[in-house]
Amino acid sequence: MSIIVKNVSKRFGHFAAVDNVTLEVPNGELVALLGPSGSGKTTLLRIIAGLEVADEGSVLHHDEDVTSYSPGERKVGFVFQHYALFRHMTIADNIGYGLRVRGVPKPERMERVNELLKLIRLDNFGSRYPSQLSGGQRQRVALARALAARPAVLLLDEPFGALDAKVRTELRQWLRRLHEEIHVTSVFVTHDQEEAFEVADRVVVMNQGKVEQVGAPAEVFEHPANAFVMDFLGNVNIFRGAVEGGKTVIRPSELPPPDSGRQATGTDVYVRPHELAIEHRRNGEAAIEAKVVHVNPTGSRTKVELKAVEFDQMILAELTSERYAELGLKAGDVVYVSARRAHVFTPTYSI
Amino acid sequence: MQPKSIPAKKAGAPGAPVRRAKEDPRWVRLTLTGLALGIVGLLVVVPIANVFVGALSEGVGVYWKNLVADADTRQAILLTLTVVPIALVANVVFGVAAAWVVSRFSFPGRTLLVAFIDLPFSVSPVVAGLMFVLIFGLQGYFGPFLRRDGYAVMPYLLGGVLTLVAVAIYLLLMPSDVKRRVGFWKVSPWLVAILGGAALFAGLVVLQEGLGVWPKNQSLKIIFATPGLVLATSFVTFPFVARELIPVMDAVGPEEELAALSLGASGWQMFWHVTVPNVKWGLVYGIILCNARAMGEFGAVYVVSGHIAGQTDTMPLRIEKLFQEYNLPGSFAVASVLTLVAILTLVAKSKLEQHLPSATTTPGTEP
Repeated sequence: MSIIVKNVSKRFGHFAAVDNVTLEVPNGELVALLGPSGSGKTTLLRIIAGLEVADEGSVLHHDEDVTSYSPGERKVGFVFQHYALFRHMTIADNIGYGLRVRGVPKPERMERVNELLKLIRLDNFGSRYPSQLSGGQRQRVALARALAARPAVLLLDEPFGALDAKVRTELRQWLRRLHEEIHVTSVFVTHDQEEAFEVADRVVVMNQGKVEQVGAPAEVFEHPANAFVMDFLGNVNIFRGAVEGGKTVIRPSELPPPDSGRQATGTDVYVRPHELAIEHRRNGEAAIEAKVVHVNPTGSRTKVELKAVEFDQMILAELTSERYAELGLKAGDVVYVSARRAHVFTPTYSI
Repeated sequence: MQPKSIPAKKAGAPGAPVRRAKEDPRWVRLTLTGLALGIVGLLVVVPIANVFVGALSEGVGVYWKNLVADADTRQAILLTLTVVPIALVANVVFGVAAAWVVSRFSFPGRTLLVAFIDLPFSVSPVVAGLMFVLIFGLQGYFGPFLRRDGYAVMPYLLGGVLTLVAVAIYLLLMPSDVKRRVGFWKVSPWLVAILGGAALFAGLVVLQEGLGVWPKNQSLKIIFATPGLVLATSFVTFPFVARELIPVMDAVGPEEELAALSLGASGWQMFWHVTVPNVKWGLVYGIILCNARAMGEFGAVYVVSGHIAGQTDTMPLRIEKLFQEYNLPGSFAVASVLTLVAILTLVAKSKLEQHLPSATTTPGTEP
């Protein structure tokens, strides 16, 4: 079932947690709400679930307005960041709870519980208590519990936030495969862009209660709609520069005087670390002279920290290991950095 | 380098120049331990033992006779056994509701409410008793009215209380699934409350005016009668349950309750399936403390009871009276019952304290 959020706003006192958000989640898709903490993504998810009431706007499931429905009526499965398993119930009772309150008879319920225990690969854990399980197992139980009553929509609030890095990666892939199997419309909240890109079909980038950009992971990463999205999705170098004659020019030393009558088209130029090229010799005018400060060759790409000679700024570059070997960089080298690709955003002014 | 942990035996050994910051010299430890044990022994253990010695000084037979043969003592025990359960029930209902409100909602005046919950702890019980005398006593605000035709309040009082109870039950029982809300559940809750309340009130008025269930033109005694005792006891023990539950409910957090709601549970199901099991040890703990305090309450009850022997004397009041009459074995006999309750409370309390932290980390000992 598709979810449509229409002009939803929610304030806590004077703080606008969600500010006039409109969003559509197509049927069967796995969508990530991505944003820094305080961007309103969890509040929006809770509004979709009915755990929070919007001040304005409406939430639709397919074409049914569910704004006034309670969480139970919305047929949603909700997975909490800290699992929220019922600590006094066994795993089997936890998973079967949604069926129990809906009056499903016990044999039928147990059948579904066993089916789900198999799905989350915890077949023999039914009679244990949540406290006897590891974090990753608990989160899988929470997911099974949310799925038990066959919800039309699955909502996950930072589902892997409380887990360690390895388990998190495993569960991500597992969630991805699970979604391919059962195809329930899912929305999950995360502040980890890597997680969003890896798991989701579509990414919704949020900031300060507003949606900044919606799109497929590659689209959002390659073509960020604005400076915030650019900055939020991975490392980025920000240079003071300008656009002149269709070319982006980084010229930190030539900042226009602030009170000049004609407005110079000075702007911020965004360059990702992997979009920077490093040469030993000056190669073209746009190159920046920089000194290597630190080299980190671990991982598939080598991270190089540099400091611009002319204008005191740290620059982060990423090279393939082959290129790194070719250059043979070490701390203290003076090199020339140029951008293969640069992003410039026209600032938007609100009146 | 010396090993960090040195057996405690060696701590005060002469010639050991290493001073460990974490360990005091042996004489300090011995003196403090001895002092603590001595004070507790002298001020707590000996007097408590003495209560039983005094009660049994003339033999078990006399002890038993002192407890059951004296009509006034019997009446006092009976009265305590009436007043305390009523106060307990009232405070459990209030305590759960208050803890719920305080730990689950944020609203203006929340801090003030918490402060007011604590008020009975800081007010002298005698003052508390006096407050009720000033409200319900003959010279109090409601005194003249209660004296003239006191039972006339019954339809209003009962009507109001029962309507509130009915609304609460209605809201809790309402199916969370809109599709299951058929027939009766489709009617607006406000309409049900107003019409139901009016019907209830009318019924009660008929009961009173037509059938004379409650006596007319008679004084309804609150002060110097059981209702006053219940009021005073409830007031004094009012913070116990709420005070125990608020931290437990805060620690457990609302997430499991929200999870139950998102899984389709109604408010009633959520309360019984999730909230109550999670806070049950805190609740039992609060009830036990509340019970101990209610049974032993003296000051407030002293003021509102008028200590009429055989009518408004509770156990503590009876003890005082027997003592004043130089009936030491008698007063010690009743006192021993209260002391026994206190000891049982203590045992139950220490047993429960093992459960309390586990209420937030591991499940209880259920099979």
